[in-house]
Amino acid sequence: MSASPPLAPPSARPRAAVPAALIVGAASIATLVVAWQVVAMAGIVPARVLPTPLDVALRFATLAVETFSGSTLEGHALASLTRWVIGAACAIALGIPLGVALAWLPPLRPVIAPAFELLRFIPPFAWVPIAVLWFGASTTTQALIVFIAAFPACVINAHLGVSLVDPILPRAAAMLGAGGVATLRRVVLPVAAPSIFTGVRIAFSNGWMALVGAELVVGKQGLGFLISQGQINDSVTTIMVGMIAIGALGALIDFGFQRVERAWLPWLAFGAKRAS
Amino acid sequence: MARVRREARIVTRDAAPTPHIAHSAAVGAVSPRDASPAPVPKLELRGIAKTFRTDHGDVEALAPCDLAVREGELVMVVGPSGCGKSTLMSIAAGLEAPTSGEVRVDGRPAGPAGPQRTVVFQRFALFPSETVEGNIAFGLTVAGVARAEREARVAEQLELMGLARFRRAWPHELSGGMQQRVAIARALAVRPEILLMDEPFGALDAQTRTVLQGEISRLRRVMNYTVLFITHSVEEAVYLGDRVVVMSSRPGRIRRDIAIPHDEPWRGLEIEDASMREEFIRYKREIWELIRTEIVRE
Repeated sequence: MSASPPLAPPSARPRAAVPAALIVGAASIATLVVAWQVVAMAGIVPARVLPTPLDVALRFATLAVETFSGSTLEGHALASLTRWVIGAACAIALGIPLGVALAWLPPLRPVIAPAFELLRFIPPFAWVPIAVLWFGASTTTQALIVFIAAFPACVINAHLGVSLVDPILPRAAAMLGAGGVATLRRVVLPVAAPSIFTGVRIAFSNGWMALVGAELVVGKQGLGFLISQGQINDSVTTIMVGMIAIGALGALIDFGFQRVERAWLPWLAFGAKRAS
Repeated sequence: MARVRREARIVTRDAAPTPHIAHSAAVGAVSPRDASPAPVPKLELRGIAKTFRTDHGDVEALAPCDLAVREGELVMVVGPSGCGKSTLMSIAAGLEAPTSGEVRVDGRPAGPAGPQRTVVFQRFALFPSETVEGNIAFGLTVAGVARAEREARVAEQLELMGLARFRRAWPHELSGGMQQRVAIARALAVRPEILLMDEPFGALDAQTRTVLQGEISRLRRVMNYTVLFITHSVEEAVYLGDRVVVMSSRPGRIRRDIAIPHDEPWRGLEIEDASMREEFIRYKREIWELIRTEIVRE
């Protein structure tokens, strides 16, 4: 490497750490599954109450191809994801600009903050009855619950991120001739981005959890609905397939989003910072 | 004999409440370069004062200050800490509004901050999400300078500041000295008329500071920038300045304005050599005496 001395080769440190973490992670999940299998096979608990992982896997395969409560497993997952995407996208599209504006334009704060503070303490589930009256048991209702759960995290973290930008940076931009918009776009938002992204991550998981909760109560499709139907049909395996699908999809969303974050914020040097 | 001659050359004047016209005339008289009637100064602070409102009442940070910097001149401002040097700088840059008074460039009101007067801050203030190149190009990008021209000017600055190897590095990957080089390159890339330096080497270790002081001295010989330079280092002030302005303790006012001629025998030496010369020490001692009385007075 002919790189200049004070600069480490950019990608050397983070790369080496990944396989080890992957092995440990896989081992921890495998241990959990094995422990579950052992307990289930020991016969202490009846199979109707605690099926083995193998039973659940078989049920998973069945649900993937056969219709259960109106849809295959993929159909239910797709329904949930659609509602989640709509609700989360709206929360991001409205919440981030609002949070940024509250920090960047101080006169807005006394106007908007009180209403926001009042509304955000109404839990997402408290909105379910009124949403059902307004929109019926529709995608709109479910997306609205996702939106309500996801919106505050977007606003609060965007506000925090912009508030914490060192005031010397906008001054530096101003003396170089940048106007308000250029300063916001090229200096303030990139510096606030880690906090904004954290808000989006929290919003994603809040939205996902609220959605499944809402689906347990209303709706005719979705993973939450699948679980509730499993309960009605006295099928623990169905419930477990639904739970695992919910957990796996949530984790997958978060993992994917972290990859996006790294690609968008190359200057943060995630691996390097952790190593030092 | 030599001593007498030297002392006669330390031209000082009390800069307290002189009216503007008398002020410019005094500057003209001090000038070693032109004896013609005082030209319009490149940068002029006219009766700049600043009072901060706090919960404990008003705090007068800066008493009315008059300061004129001629084209191509490097004026150093020194003073005890908390004397309002940095406030003076922010006002000169247009980043802060004075409570009273006016900033003029070429005899006209200077207006808001902009690339005409660029600033090098003590804390570097590099944009963390831009590479070295991106930081240097920033002023050109927001001004809409065409890509080819922008790249040429960035390359020129990279070369000038010895940053070519680091062009794609992120600011956090660089040492403090390198970061400040980037900040200087960023301030110069827009070709400002006036360069404002706010204790630029205050956050650097002694060795890095010495190297950068040498570079500023070298840059000055290459390019004839008009510079207002705030420092707390008397040595730095004497070494780099054409004039050294000494400020009083709070509320800051200009106590003394000392011209340091270009033909001093230590000009062109490195700072460690220059600072051992008898003539250099004499300036240093005089300025130190002024600052000491200010600190004691407080």
